[in-house]
Amino acid sequence: MSDSEKWAWWTLGVVVLTIAVYGAFVAFVKSGHAALVFGLLALAALPASRRRYFPCRHFDERERAIAIKAALVGFYACWLAFAGLINAIGFIKGWNATLTVPVWTLIETLCWALILVLGVQSLTTLVLYRGGPHA
Amino acid sequence: MPSQEPEIKNHIRRLRFDHGEMTQDQLAKQAGVTRHTIMALEAGKYFPSLLLAFRIARVFGAPVEQVFEYVGQVPDLL
Repeated sequence: MSDSEKWAWWTLGVVVLTIAVYGAFVAFVKSGHAALVFGLLALAALPASRRRYFPCRHFDERERAIAIKAALVGFYACWLAFAGLINAIGFIKGWNATLTVPVWTLIETLCWALILVLGVQSLTTLVLYRGGPHA
Repeated sequence: MPSQEPEIKNHIRRLRFDHGEMTQDQLAKQAGVTRHTIMALEAGKYFPSLLLAFRIARVFGAPVEQVFEYVGQVPDLL
């Protein structure tokens, strides 16, 4: 298994863990802000702090191609979700409506966007490593 | 009527065998890529860049067309 695949599995694990802990927090712990759980996402940076992004680490052309594709798919998914959310709010609340959003909600939304990017990016990485032309 | 999709076949596995049963790891190191990329190439799951194709051909001391082979018809764009 290559380093990139190990990174993808690790990141996917962190994403699943974060979602599970968030769900448990919302279900069982009624007080406090569930957004604190998103601090677990920092675990996703652990492989990067070891050697993945060390300057001496050599990525060949296939690994680079997969990393670029996976990042693009991740951000594309985020963009789709963003467009869907904006349209949903516009159609439900009306396009001239004013929203008053707590800062915590804003932070949670950004964290969910990060989860979406990381999840899709790691899944795409795993799929591309497992086959298909140019993968 | 089945359509014949153009693809690039390679003879890396045979050439490795002809070169003293060179391992994938040895070839990968000499070509400057990872062993996983050599595995993907041999399995036909990855088409290399021109640069990598020439590097692999150089490892075997053979012209690139002896290592890689274009199979299929050139699409008629006119």
